Parts: sequence; C-alpha cells; structure tokens
Amino acid sequence: MAKLPTDIPTIVSQFGPSLHRVPPGGWEQTGEDEKQVKTHCCFCGQQCGIQLRVRNNKVVGFEPWEDFPFNKGKLCPKGVKRYMQDEHPDRLKTPLQRAEGKGYEPLSWDAAMTRVVSEIQRIQSTFGKDAFGILSGASLTNEKAYLMGKFARVAMQTANIDYNGRLCMVSAGAASKKVFGVDRSANPWSDIPKAKVILVAGANVAECAPITTDYLWQARENGAKLIVLDPRMTPIARNADLFIPVRPGGDIGVFHGMMRIMIQRGWIDRAYIDNYTSGFDEYARVVEKYTPEYAAKIAGVPFDLIARAAEMWGPAPSSFLLHARGIEHHSKGVENCIAAIQLVLATGRLGREGCGYAMITGQGNGQGAREQGQKCDQLPGNRDISDPAARKYIAGVWDVPEESIPGKGLSAVPLVEAIHEGKIKGLLSICFNPTVSLPDANYIRAALEELEFYVNIDFFLSETARYADIVLPGSLMEEDEGTTTSVEGRVIRHRKVVTPPGEAREDWKIICEIAARLGKGEKFNYASPRDMFEELRVASKGGVSDYYGMTWERIDAENGIFWPCPEPGHPGTPRLYENKKFNHPDGRAHFYPVDWRPSVEMPDDEYPIILTTGRVVSHFLSGTQTRRIGALLDQYPQPRCEMHPRLAEKLGISDGDFVKVESRRGSVVVRAMIVKTIRPDTVFVPYHWPLGRSANNMTIRAIDPVSNIPEYKICAVKVSKAEAPTDPISQLGVEAGGVR
Amino acid sequence: MAWGLIAAFAVVAAILFGSRGLRDFDPALVSYAGATVFAAFGLGYRYAMWLRRPPTRVYWFRGWEIFFNPKRLPSNIAHLTRIFWNNFFLQRFIERRSRMRWTAHWFLAWGCILAAAVTFPLSFGWVRFETARDSLNVYRAFMFGIPVGSFHLGTPIAELTFNILDISAVMVLIGVFFAMWRRGRDHGAMTVQQFSTDLLPLILLFAISITGLFLTASTHLMNGLHYGFLSQIHAVTVILTLLYLPFGKFFHIFQRPAQLGIDFYKQAGAEGPQAPCIRCGEAYTSRLHVDDLKAVQRALGIHYQMADGSHYQDVCPRCRRKNLALTQDGLWKAMSERGIN
Amino acid sequence: MSERMFFIDHSRCIGCESCVQACAECDTHRGTSMIHLEVIQRSESVQTTPQVCMHCEDPICARVCPADAIKKTPDGVVQSSLKPRCIGCSNCVMSCPFGVPKYQAAIDQMMKCDMCYDRSSIGKKPMCATVCPSGALTFATMEEIQRTRRGIPINSWKFGGEEVRTKVYVMVPRTIERVDVELVQVTATPAPLPEDPYDVALMLEETI
Ligand code: SF4
Ligand code: SF4
Ligand code: SF4
Repeated sequence: MAKLPTDIPTIVSQFGPSLHRVPPGGWEQTGEDEKQVKTHCCFCGQQCGIQLRVRNNKVVGFEPWEDFPFNKGKLCPKGVKRYMQDEHPDRLKTPLQRAEGKGYEPLSWDAAMTRVVSEIQRIQSTFGKDAFGILSGASLTNEKAYLMGKFARVAMQTANIDYNGRLCMVSAGAASKKVFGVDRSANPWSDIPKAKVILVAGANVAECAPITTDYLWQARENGAKLIVLDPRMTPIARNADLFIPVRPGGDIGVFHGMMRIMIQRGWIDRAYIDNYTSGFDEYARVVEKYTPEYAAKIAGVPFDLIARAAEMWGPAPSSFLLHARGIEHHSKGVENCIAAIQLVLATGRLGREGCGYAMITGQGNGQGAREQGQKCDQLPGNRDISDPAARKYIAGVWDVPEESIPGKGLSAVPLVEAIHEGKIKGLLSICFNPTVSLPDANYIRAALEELEFYVNIDFFLSETARYADIVLPGSLMEEDEGTTTSVEGRVIRHRKVVTPPGEAREDWKIICEIAARLGKGEKFNYASPRDMFEELRVASKGGVSDYYGMTWERIDAENGIFWPCPEPGHPGTPRLYENKKFNHPDGRAHFYPVDWRPSVEMPDDEYPIILTTGRVVSHFLSGTQTRRIGALLDQYPQPRCEMHPRLAEKLGISDGDFVKVESRRGSVVVRAMIVKTIRPDTVFVPYHWPLGRSANNMTIRAIDPVSNIPEYKICAVKVSKAEAPTDPISQLGVEAGGVR
Repeated sequence: MAWGLIAAFAVVAAILFGSRGLRDFDPALVSYAGATVFAAFGLGYRYAMWLRRPPTRVYWFRGWEIFFNPKRLPSNIAHLTRIFWNNFFLQRFIERRSRMRWTAHWFLAWGCILAAAVTFPLSFGWVRFETARDSLNVYRAFMFGIPVGSFHLGTPIAELTFNILDISAVMVLIGVFFAMWRRGRDHGAMTVQQFSTDLLPLILLFAISITGLFLTASTHLMNGLHYGFLSQIHAVTVILTLLYLPFGKFFHIFQRPAQLGIDFYKQAGAEGPQAPCIRCGEAYTSRLHVDDLKAVQRALGIHYQMADGSHYQDVCPRCRRKNLALTQDGLWKAMSERGIN
Repeated sequence: MSERMFFIDHSRCIGCESCVQACAECDTHRGTSMIHLEVIQRSESVQTTPQVCMHCEDPICARVCPADAIKKTPDGVVQSSLKPRCIGCSNCVMSCPFGVPKYQAAIDQMMKCDMCYDRSSIGKKPMCATVCPSGALTFATMEEIQRTRRGIPINSWKFGGEEVRTKVYVMVPRTIERVDVELVQVTATPAPLPEDPYDVALMLEETI
C-alpha cells in the first residue's frame, strides 16, 4: 500500500531536506563551553577522533582532538561540519504516521508501538516469519549492530535481515576471508608510511578517506613510490609516481599482468609461498594467460604502465596495498580483491612492519557493523550462520534453543527483490536509505510500494522513509553511546554528548521495546549499551573478530583496541599474520586462480559509454545527513557528469550543458563537467542525490555471486545534450534532488 | 609640526572670534579650552604625519580631485548625503560586522557627538545662556553673541537643554556597557584587544560620563555636596581624554571620513577602464587603482617589475595564488623528473 | 618544546576544503572563512591550492595601507585590518604578493588570515593546519619538519625585483634557497591511453 502519501514537494516542504548553516545561538554566540566531549566522527570508516562542544545540552561546535593517534586532530570537511546535524530544523522529534493525501502526522509512542507490533504479528502469522524483513545499517555502533542481529533472530525470528554494509565492504571482506580466513585490514595505518612502494587500487583516497592522504604523502617523504589505479585522475593520482588509468572492470588485467612479470623476473617469495600458502600453481597457470597484449586489452591501458608497476612493486623491500570500492563494486568484486591481495601474498610481504594490505572501509562502522551478526549469513563474532558449532555457541549466549535461530536469509538486493515479488510483505529499516543507495533506483522505489507495512527508524525523514507507514525518531551518534570498529580494526568509543531532542529516543531503546512487546522482553533486558557490549564480547569469544578481552575502560584508556583481543589483558592485535599463521584449518593462506570475466552489462552500440559512480568529499553515502548541512552542500551542491573533452566533442556537449545520462533502467539530467582527468570511454556521476539526480537510476541490479555486492562501478549508458528540466522535482532545492 | 601649529592657531582664532574677543568667554572653562587647543595641535600634527605616508597622500588628493570634478560634483553631493545617513548617522557598516558592536558603537558615538556639540561651543564661548531681563523663568540663548531663541523653565525643551549632557552621559555609559560586555565574552575580540588601544578609551569615556553624572546628582539631589571636588575630577577626566585624542583610538574619528573619499574613488574607478590580469586576462580592478598603486609602490620602494618587462602588479590576486602553487608544485615535479628524490 | 611554526606544501593539497570549513570556526572571525582555496584549472587538472597569510617580515599590505590599519603583533603575526581604521580601499588586497587579504564588501573592510590568533597566541594550532588531512598545511616545530620531510622549508621569495621574507615557510626541494616567482600556466598531464580507449570490445575479444 505504501505509495507516497502525498507529492514529494509537499513532503520536502515539511521535512526537508533543508539546510542548516548556523550553530545554535548564531556565529556571534560566545562564552564558555560547558564541556567538550571526546568522541568520533560518524561520516566514514576512519572514525576520526573529534571533540564536540556543548552548551545547554546543545552541540555548538567542534574542537580538534589532537591526541587521538589515528588522525591527530585532522578532519575532512564532513568532520568539521558534522556538528551542524545537531539542532537541525528537519530533526524528527515525534513518531509519525502516514496521513493519506497530507504527508505525515505525529502520534504517541504507545500508539506507534502498538501499530508496529500488531503489524509484525499480523504479517508474520499470516505469511510466515520470514515475510517480515529487516534492513539495518553499517553506521550503527557495534552494540546496535549486535542488537539488530539478535532482534531479528530472537525477537522476530526472521531469517531476512541484512544491512547496507552489503553495498560497501563485503567484497573486500569475502576476499580476505577466502585468502586468509580473516575479514579485516591486515595492518594498522602506521605501517603505511614505512612501506617503500604503495599500490592504491580503486580508492579515491583524497575524497573518500581523506585522512589517509597524509599517510600516503608521509610514505612518499620517506622515499616510497606510489602507484594508483583509477579510471579518473584523482587528487592522489596527480602526485603518484605511476598513474594507471585503468578501464572500469579491467583491474585484473593490471594485477595479473604484473604478476606474470613478477613470476618471470623472480620477484616472488618462493619460500614463503611453499611454506605458508597453498594453491599458487593453479593461480600461476591462470596468470600465464595475461601476456602483455592480453593484459593491456583487459586493463585498457598501454602495457608499459603495467610493466612499470611490476618493476616498482616486484623487487621492493616493503610494500603496502590499499583497495576500496573501485575494485570491489563489481559482479566480480571478490575476484578483483583476491587478485589484488595475491600480489601481496606472493611476495610474502605481509605481517611485518611496513608490509601488508588494507581495505578502506567506507561506512561509519563499516568494519564493526559487519562482525556482530546483522548480516543475513552471519552470527556475532563473524561466525557463519550455517556452521552448527557457531549456532550452538550463540544459542547458548542468547539462551534460546539452537533450532529457533533462523538460517541464512536474503542479502540486501535479493531481499528488496523479494519485496518486489511480494514474498516479503513487511519491513523494518534503520540507518538505511535504499531508494538512494541501492542500484536500479526505479525498481527499488517500485518495490517499496509493494509493502503492506513498513516501519522506518531514523532521525531525519529520508527519501526512503517517505514510503513508511510509521516513522520512529531515533538517535544521532552523539545522542547515544557505544563502540565502533574503525578502518584499522581498532575498536573505539563513541561517547554520549547530548540527549535525544523532543520525544526522540536512543535507537536501542526503540528496538528493545519492540522486542518486549513481541514478548521477548527478558532477552532484551539491557540497562545501557554497555550491557550489550558485555554480551557482545562473550558472543564474539572464540570467533574471528574476538572482542572478549576488551572493556570500555580499556578502550578509553588505550585510545582503542585492535581485535582479536581474546582474553582480558591481551594487548590486542594491530598487525595480523605476524606469525605467518592464517585462519584456515590448514593454517595456510590460499591462492585462487581467479580469471577476468566481463561485467554483467558491457557497453554496446546502443549504450556505448561506461558509467562509473562514486563519492565526493563533502558528502556521505545517501546524503541524508550531509545534504542537510549547508556548508557541505555548498561545497558540492549537485551531481555533475564528468566526461573527457574528446567524448564531449563527439557528443557535441560543452562544459555546463545539461546532459541526459541514460541506461536501460533509468536516467538523470545533470550538468556536464568537461575534464581531461577521466578516461574518454567513461563518465562519472556521484551518487549522493535522490530522485531525478540519482546516479542509481542508471546502475544495474547485478551482484557478485559470493559477496552479493552490487555492480555500482560499471554499467552501460548513453549520454546526450538535454534541455533544462522543468518537472516539479527538478525545481526543488538541490539538496532535495533539484537541479540548477 | 607646522600643521599642528596651524590647527592650534585656528582653534584659538575660532575662540577669539566666536566669543566676540573673549567677551562671552567663561573663564571657568579655560582649562577645557586650553586642552582643546593642545588636542588640536596634536591632531593637526598627527594628521599631517599621516598624510605624509605615500599611500595616504595619493588617495587623499585623488579623493578630493574626484569629488570636486565639476562633472561629478552634483551626483557626488547626492551620494555623499546618502552615505552620510547610512554610514555616519546609522553606522550600518558596523551593524553588519556585529550587532553587539554596532549597538555599543552607536551609543558611544552619538553620546560623544551630542556632548561635544554642547560642550565645545560652551567652553569656546560660542554659546551662552542668560535669564531674560523681564522674567526669571525665561532663558535666552546666544550664539556668537547673537540671540538665537528663548524658552521657559520647566518646558520640555528647557529640560532637554539643561540635561543634554546627562542624556549623552547615559548614552555613553550604555555604549561602554555593551562594549565591555562584548570585549569580556567574545573570544575573538579578547585575543586581539590591547589595553591601551581598546580598553583605555572605554575607561576614559566611562570616567567622564560618571563624573559628569555625579555633578548633576550633586547639584540636584545632594545640595551641591562635594561639588567643587567633583567638578575638578570631571575636568581632569575630560582634559586627559582631550590630550589622548590625537594619539589613541579616538584618532579614527578624524581618519575615518577618508572612507567617504574611497567611496568616490571606487566609483570613479568603476566607471573608467578596468585592468585585465596579464595571466588570466580577466579584469580585476580599475586601471586607475592599478596605476595609483604602482605609483605608491614606487614611492615606497616596492619593486614589482619582472625581468621580462612585465609588472607583478598586473597579475590578479587569484592568479598570484595559483601561480605560486604551480611554481612550488613545478619545483617538485622537476625534481622527480630528474629522478632525485 | 621549541616554537611551532606554519609550513605549507602546496603540492600536497587534495582540495578537500577542510581548511575552508574549519577556518570559519575560529573565534576571531567565526562564520567567515579567511583561507583561500583555489582550483587551479579543473578542466585540465585536479590540482588545488590553499593560501594562508604568509605573515611577511615587512608586510607590503601594511605598507600600502593609506589608513595605517594593518598591524603586526610582536610575535610577527599580521592581523586583520583594525576595524576603526580600515577604509576599505583594497590596496592591500591588490598589493599582497601572495594574494591574501580579502575585501569584505558587506562590512566594507579588509579581513585576512590572522593565524587563528585566538588559538596560536596561546600555543594552540591554527584551525586549518590542525584539520588539513593532507598535511599541505602543517603547524609544527622546525625540528619535526626537518626530520619528517624530504624537502626543506624556505621563507624567502622574489617577485620581480622585490624580495620578501615571511614568517610562514613553504616546502621545496633541497636545492632551492629562494623562490623566484615567474608566471606559469598549468600543463595538463594527459593520462597515457592506447589508441582507441573507446573500444571496449577489445576486452571481450578472446573471452566470449
Ligand atoms: S568523514 Fe571520515 S575522514 Fe572525514 S572527518 Fe569523518 S571520519 Fe575523518
Ligand atoms: S602575505 Fe600578504 S597579507 Fe600576509 S603579511 Fe604578507 S603582504 Fe600582508
Ligand atoms: S584542508 Fe588541506 S588538503 Fe584540504 S583543501 Fe585545505 S589545504 Fe588542501
């Protein structure tokens, strides 16, 4: 039933996005802070330390936290202006219910909860437990991520819970798991400046992980060579020693092309391979195929660049690999990552100072939120939900019969497809804005319209929440406390800075109350997030991501602890694999003979151009938060289509023209930005905007078979000059999906 | 020095002339008049020194030249009236900096102007009051010895006239209060303020106003208790302030009107040809401005001529920034191309 | 601890504008950003550059000011124009060799980077140099910079015939002692691509 209750401009006029520009009390407001609370930025996986300044239970500004070791006071613009999401006029402060023809109207918590619980019960009793799905988020604390997993399995007993980390880290995680048996960056960031050669594959570090830039530059100061793989010349690529403008989806051409040379020239560590790994020979056989011609053809770059990369990487005394969404957002994302990691493994350069690799998590708790059991196939501690031993252990922790724990459910994209097909009738979502962030946005919106009941928990009325029957006002990071696990695998503390405004509640209280009303109160009897952490710690014990030895006090005192930390007093594990022991039953790391295969949709005559999508520095994910912060929006107000002058000339497009970017699934009209810093066969559109400006209108709903990550980084489009749009959406503010 | 003396003599002459050869001069106010003469000397001297700086001289003369340009004069006068209202009377430009600052400044400025408008003519003997011959209840006012009006005691106009100094004192006190409040709370202001330039003037104004008010209180409420002593203290504060006038923050009162000149200068510049940047080709200010700046720089010994005959002053500020970055980046690029690291 | 100083390495900048955002959070000019961030020429390159005041030893901005409104504190920091004096003529804006002062039309005044005087005067780092993720802007001791950077900091410039020395340092390769500024334009470094990078079909030839 969930069509929009009224037209979008009306909803926007009531709930935003609108822009917040001035701190409470105005810029001239001076005087003393009541307190400055040390916590962390919520706007990416690096989780920079920051202090928020408080007066009268209001966040009025920030102060750098120079003693936090990861970022030492550094912040990107999102971190600097993050405090503007507090005291925001769009902030939801009461539960809302859909009012046909009008939009939303407030209702009491009790009425809202009653409605939610009765709908859950109705749908589950009529269509089965699994007919109610849960979509959760990777920007939640570890405690909340743990709670969501337990809530799904114990309170709702649905198999169908997944989270938006599915759109971010899963390829990297799956690849690491396959090769090493552990899903985590292998090294702390402090190893980066110590490496003599660094390969950055598909990571726009400057914009998506800005703080990492200083680590890279520091490495260069120490004499390191920097190799960057990207279809666009990003700011770090500009200063790289070698920039390889690889064709989207052609990364394996570079990796295997390099490896073939390295094998021929003897730049691999035979002893290491023999003693600590398995599967190298089959891998080498596949690599053999990547002759200079073939590798160049796949990669779409002259072979010379690949050869130079091999010459830099191969013989280096120490090396570091960083990879991110550029190679991961593919229907072969896991294979891409495996191919990249194997460049590390074959040289034996890991598990020591300045040697190793890392995946750059994008979401706020991208690392931690995937370990606590809110993935459709996992239980806490990164445990496989179909592993009988894991089920038994967790059933014990939860004090429930093992058979009551559902099996593997649907991951995010198939879950939405099941909604579209009418198999899943009800949905609870938190910290997820799929109408902007999932691929093939027109399909996603149509799916949401199929729902019989949808309850959304958020602090702003996101584009997705507009489809909800009930919206429950939850909490911002700084209105609750807990832990997250940063890009390095460092577990850190978010402190409560202010209390939720109005009737808004801490997320965990909302979830626990629903659980209680579902009759499972005794299993959700937490007084605070700390209780959840204590339980999580035990639940993770013996798992891969073992938090058992951690306490909040230790995390505070030590500025974070790296997992695994298996028993009290254990110092944590900043660097993995120091003992050359890997987390497979045979103790070895495994090579895989991955081979290049085409992406699901390759350009053709009708749609001849590659579209690749990504982020800009001033926005975070679906933009629900950053599109509401005036200073961040001003920095990058609306998406633009980057294209090379050669392509633009062919299409008769000049800089600033409106262009229509169209795939088989949908289109956007945005302004063209003509730059020599992108491949001529590729256009780029950032994805933080909704509706008529959503890059995901075009992207393809294809997923990697192992990780189930969507293929955001390549689909086929055509681009043409367009008139200035005049539809009502285009007339909205740019923060709401308009265009100017 | 010469200008200082000229200013001092001008004041003395004005006193002599305005008080009809000291006939209307009130000897009780002689110390005030003396301090004023000294202040005039200081101001004249300081102003002349200021005008000796090449940039000031160029703009001062250029400003008048443009103002009195016959073709522009009528519109200049109209414009002057407008900016006088906005910038002098309302002081809008300060409001845009900060409301608090504006409130403080407006009260301070108008309190002082009002007080000055009364006290200077009085102490110079330009204005005097006397009771009418036919009625003790009627006061007559003389300016330069010429009767300019009369009023009855007890009428509002009389109250206003006799209490105008109290009103101005209260205005100044309000201003001081706001200014102090701001200076005590605004972290930004606190870090850059200095005692002698920012706080001392406030203290002086406070002292003048409060002692002045005490005088009134003494007369009306306490039957003249300590009147003599109080009036001496008041005189000391006023004289100190007068002496401070040319040296401290108060000098801006005399310097500030130059802003009006700049307004005309900018207008004339905007109407004339513009100067394009030699790097990006875009106009960035007026030709007039660039040419004057080059003259100022020459006078100051700033040598922006480049080896190739071009002039660095012809590069717009934005291109200067970009150029600098390209230069620095280029040094590194050249380095790594030569393979030295 | 020896005194901390301001070092710029323009080439490190990634254009994130953290400095711009943080500058507006500083108490001496809250709500107004004083730092400049230039995109050199986006069509050709992603190069960007920050510019803070260099705090010249003999500031040209102050010398050309007719109102005598620009003052240097004893610790060598050149301040924004004195508000009661500045007459908004923009001489400083046009004369500063580094293009630093900003004319604020709304208040008819010049304002400029004052090294976050509220912070740096009490030993804290300026905002921009604290947050800058790339280290393009750094506030550190001379010893620390010499230990961690391959280049050297210099503070000596020549613009035409004019020599300028500054409190703020810029990182350059070791052989350089003074930067003689000449006019340069950006040169795009086009990505080396094969003859016809459009031909994705090449990719597919042998695989399907
Ligand atoms: S978004 Fe990421 S890089 Fe930016 S301040 Fe926040 S945690 Fe740091
Ligand atoms: S850099 Fe420019 S603004 Fe700064 S002190 Fe030097 S001349 Fe003045
Ligand atoms: S913060 Fe640093 S990297 Fe970012 S734009 Fe400013 S100077 Fe450049």
